Amino acid sequence: MKTTATMTRRGVLRLGGGVAAGAVLGGCGKVRALWPRRGELKPFAVPGGEGIGPVAHVLNRLTWGAGPGDYERVRAMGGTEEEAAAAFVEEQLKPEMIVDDYARAACAPLEAIRQPVPELFEYKPAQLDDELTRRAVIRAVHSERQLYEVMVGFWSDHFNIDASKLDCQWFKCADDREVIRKHAMGSFREMLRASALSPAMLFYLDGRKNRKDGEADRPNENYARELLELHTMGVDGGYSQEDVMEAARCLTGWTVTGREVQFGIGRVYFDARGHDDGRKVVLGVEIPAGGGAGDLDRLLDILMGHEATGRYVAEKLCRHFIADEPPGGAVAVVAEAFRASGGGVREMLRALFGSEEFGAARGVKIKRPFHFVVSALRATGSVTTAGGGVKRALLVMGHVPFHYPTPEGPAPEGSAWLATLLHRWDFAVKLTDGGIGCSRNEPEKLVKCAGGVGGLLGHCFGRRATADELAAAGAVKDVVALALAAPAFQIY
Amino acid sequence: METIIAEERGPRPVLVNVFLRGGADGLHLVPPVGDDAYYRARPGLAVKAGEALRLTDFFGLHPDLRPLHGIYQAGELAVAHQCGTADETRSHFSAEDYVNHGGLEGGGWIGRFLHRTRDPEDGPLTAVSIGSGVSDALRGVAAVAMRSLEEFTIPDRDPALRGQLGAMYARAGGVLGAAGASTLRALERIESVRKGGGVSGGVAEAGYGDDGFSGGLKLLARLIRARAGLRAATIELGGWDSHFAQTTLTSGLMPVLARGLAAFRKDLGGLMGEVHVVVTTEFGRRVAENVSAGTDHGRAGVCFAMGGGVRGGRVLSDWPKGGIGADILEGPGDLPVRLPLHHGLMAVLKRIRPEVSGEAVFPGLEAGELDW
Repeated sequence: MKTTATMTRRGVLRLGGGVAAGAVLGGCGKVRALWPRRGELKPFAVPGGEGIGPVAHVLNRLTWGAGPGDYERVRAMGGTEEEAAAAFVEEQLKPEMIVDDYARAACAPLEAIRQPVPELFEYKPAQLDDELTRRAVIRAVHSERQLYEVMVGFWSDHFNIDASKLDCQWFKCADDREVIRKHAMGSFREMLRASALSPAMLFYLDGRKNRKDGEADRPNENYARELLELHTMGVDGGYSQEDVMEAARCLTGWTVTGREVQFGIGRVYFDARGHDDGRKVVLGVEIPAGGGAGDLDRLLDILMGHEATGRYVAEKLCRHFIADEPPGGAVAVVAEAFRASGGGVREMLRALFGSEEFGAARGVKIKRPFHFVVSALRATGSVTTAGGGVKRALLVMGHVPFHYPTPEGPAPEGSAWLATLLHRWDFAVKLTDGGIGCSRNEPEKLVKCAGGVGGLLGHCFGRRATADELAAAGAVKDVVALALAAPAFQIY
Repeated sequence: METIIAEERGPRPVLVNVFLRGGADGLHLVPPVGDDAYYRARPGLAVKAGEALRLTDFFGLHPDLRPLHGIYQAGELAVAHQCGTADETRSHFSAEDYVNHGGLEGGGWIGRFLHRTRDPEDGPLTAVSIGSGVSDALRGVAAVAMRSLEEFTIPDRDPALRGQLGAMYARAGGVLGAAGASTLRALERIESVRKGGGVSGGVAEAGYGDDGFSGGLKLLARLIRARAGLRAATIELGGWDSHFAQTTLTSGLMPVLARGLAAFRKDLGGLMGEVHVVVTTEFGRRVAENVSAGTDHGRAGVCFAMGGGVRGGRVLSDWPKGGIGADILEGPGDLPVRLPLHHGLMAVLKRIRPEVSGEAVFPGLEAGELDW
């Protein structure tokens, strides 16, 4: 069976041409089907407006970048651009209704990260890390549930875990599916609780070590602080050092088994003997003595009910989807949706995408490196298994998923990442030159299918190219590299 | 092309900021071995007086920092203890922000300094962050992030590409335009450095480690030697957030720090007179150890200065007479800040450019300089 699969793939690659088969075969896993996700590359319509129109805008913001044919498909969803854009938003808000066989098949070879928690420990961390990174890239590039994948990226930053720390090397795989992917479009409250009790988080922020056995023991406040500062209220949320310590007391006793045990690795449990069961006061709200394990939910309820939490989450979402300086009006609307729905992600997103501020803020955000790499792969209609050159590019730009060391997560503003510009140009040139292993595309055919050089630029920029841009493209051999390296492709 | 490197000019002073990310524990790096309260607060973690390397009658140096001891004895390394900022959040994020921005204003403390003292020689390699991102300390001036010289290039399969990109970015303007222009200039400068060397004859004997920190310092030494126009650089060594198992955690980091700095000094030799190294962190750690044999976020820590004519061989501090007992601690049990970090940094900057004022670099903070 294996031989047949390899032969078939090799045959496919030969037919495709452009890439030396040897370069693609090394450690890439299986390249299953070819782009576009719904068949061969064929002629497609591109945006033609002078500026970024409503459809190109939602493709920019709700996806990891438009692929060949995406504009044409979405445009056909409504009579006007506005109606089409609104229909696309509704489609993307219900990922469970979207068939995603291609991405599932593309990730099928990544078997280790799908194992139940104890079995994860039978794999080497390097393999799990490789599979985690590749799944993040493959799904971002190839999934039809684009908004869902964008939200997975958002929450992975929000609940940042450095997958290289201690047992997180194994547990992050479970965190990715049980915390992030499970709740990405669901309930923030449930995601928060799942994160608090996630083995990876209990290791990453030392919650497992937070216990009180004697009178003199001070709680380990690492997780409690980040819970308030980064996960819920924000650093200006109005809590005090005292609140941090009280929150840490609420959480004493929750722990997890790691590699030190032979059986039952990854068991999260409440050890009443390590719990500080006295009375606590968090943010002015009393938690009576004797609450035991229930202190956790009491604490989370207090945080969820605090006005700062809704505002902070709303601000982060608006920063992500609208502008680096989130407009106050939209923040208020999204914060209200948070309050009304008890932290419903879908409800917040619907409110956000419906706001005037969202519609108006076109092309004002700068891509971060991961976004740049994925959008370049999508724009070129590349088929990727995300090995080799893709991972190297992310590494050199400092934006490999799950590798950010400190809990605040990688900087959200694209402008903080502009020192990577040279590496972006490098990637653009190599991608269209076959220099990025494990990724295949056909630049000449792409230009042809887009309707020529002008069409290609329109496809990449989400708007009609200017005379200057057309002149620049006319002066170079490699127009696809130029389009990807251009300033207009760094923004969205 | 303005890529000529000023080989003939005298050495330009260079500021190198080593940032120990995560909150390095000053009481562990430079233990107050003469303070009984220190030993009471840290029954499991304290550095034994007999094991610490002698700095003064009162302070010792952690034995894992041994390569720094000789530099201290040679009078080229000074320590500021009980040093820190006014940020009381005990949050990594806020405290690091405060340190690197140099207070609550926008911009970075090094960025403001470079901006105030800019001269026509400044180019794309004036300010460099070793690593994948530019440090906030450099905010306010054009700066590049760099991991190695070799990765700093693009394939030139299509010779027209670079020129067309240059034109496109120039037209784009704004932050993208500036980034494009700075990237193109840096590319040209690096290519000439690569051709021109900058590697010292003694680099092999300097004693660099195989780790990324040593690698980064080695790269900086090369840029300094090549007179590539460097005026300020930042480099990080992370992982100091020792909430648990602090001894194990820091025993891997301290040798990396000390070895790298000692090799850097040796590699640069006589040039060290113009290379001003300051080692900072976001905060020190709580005086009492916690239940997991670690320490939580605290307030005051240590700051080191090396080279650039620092009056070394001294530990500057304003240690409480009765030791660091509960009566003098603040908040949840932290060492209060007695020596403002920005006074230490300002003294170093004054040695580089005496005319620059504290108000210009650290706006809103009380002016002053540490006597080192």
